[in-house]
Amino acid sequence: MKQIMHTLFLSCLKATELIEKKIHFRLSAKERLQLKMHKMMCDACSSYEKQSVFLEKGISLSEKKEFSPEDLQQLKLAINEKLSEMK
Amino acid sequence: MNNCDRTVLRSATHDELMPKTGKYNLTEWVEIYTDDLYSWALHKVSDAELASDLVQDTFLAAAEKLEKFKGDSTPKTWLYSILNHKIIDHYRKKVRQPVKVENQVFSTFFDEGGDWKREQRPQKWGEEEEEHLLDDLEFREVLKECLEALPEKWNTCVKLKYLMNKNGDAICQELDITPTNFWQIVHRAKLQLRNCVEENWFK
Repeated sequence: MKQIMHTLFLSCLKATELIEKKIHFRLSAKERLQLKMHKMMCDACSSYEKQSVFLEKGISLSEKKEFSPEDLQQLKLAINEKLSEMK
Repeated sequence: MNNCDRTVLRSATHDELMPKTGKYNLTEWVEIYTDDLYSWALHKVSDAELASDLVQDTFLAAAEKLEKFKGDSTPKTWLYSILNHKIIDHYRKKVRQPVKVENQVFSTFFDEGGDWKREQRPQKWGEEEEEHLLDDLEFREVLKECLEALPEKWNTCVKLKYLMNKNGDAICQELDITPTNFWQIVHRAKLQLRNCVEENWFK
């Protein structure tokens, strides 16, 4: 019975994989339907999807970096030094 | 793309950069272009030290290839193209790194039938708070630590979408990996990341 359910409506392992595929790529019509059916029956995977989308937002925010003018000055000096070594 | 606009504006100064000897002056280019190249690299790799290295490598490569630079494009465009190659190379290497622990992840979270193990089932996080949670610096710190705890390759893969600002297909094409490979890495990374955040914040 469980086997049939998994074939029709996916295992949680497969469902979470499709959730990630959905975020980065596109799902086929069949995959979309299977995932939808799975989530109707599975609270854990429904939570997983919401949380995964939320984490994506967090990841995108975590990438903002600052830099200082002093560091740039240092960098220029270092590069020029390397360049003069080459000659 | 702002950079392109600026390139056009800057092209006027291009001739002034050629000293009388007819050779290009790299030291001047370093002075003029380092800031922009660095901020571009930093934006793309999100790591100050790595960005510095990439910019430095760019100028070293430029010095070696300087004879091939015919002035068909502006120095800035030329330097950017070298830098962009270096950035892609960097990611290619990262994404190809073998990771040993890969197969353990699924058996940590799922039983043999592919169902969540009882103690690993995702708990509800309280959705109302979620939006504000991203403004919470303490939460952001937890998220950051959890990201850093991932194997390096996974960490790179989950960030690539935002670093390269491209969709999955474009990323795979550029890094020459299969989409299946890419989203399966992301899948493992996200399972671990989600679990880490839940353990360290929601419990």
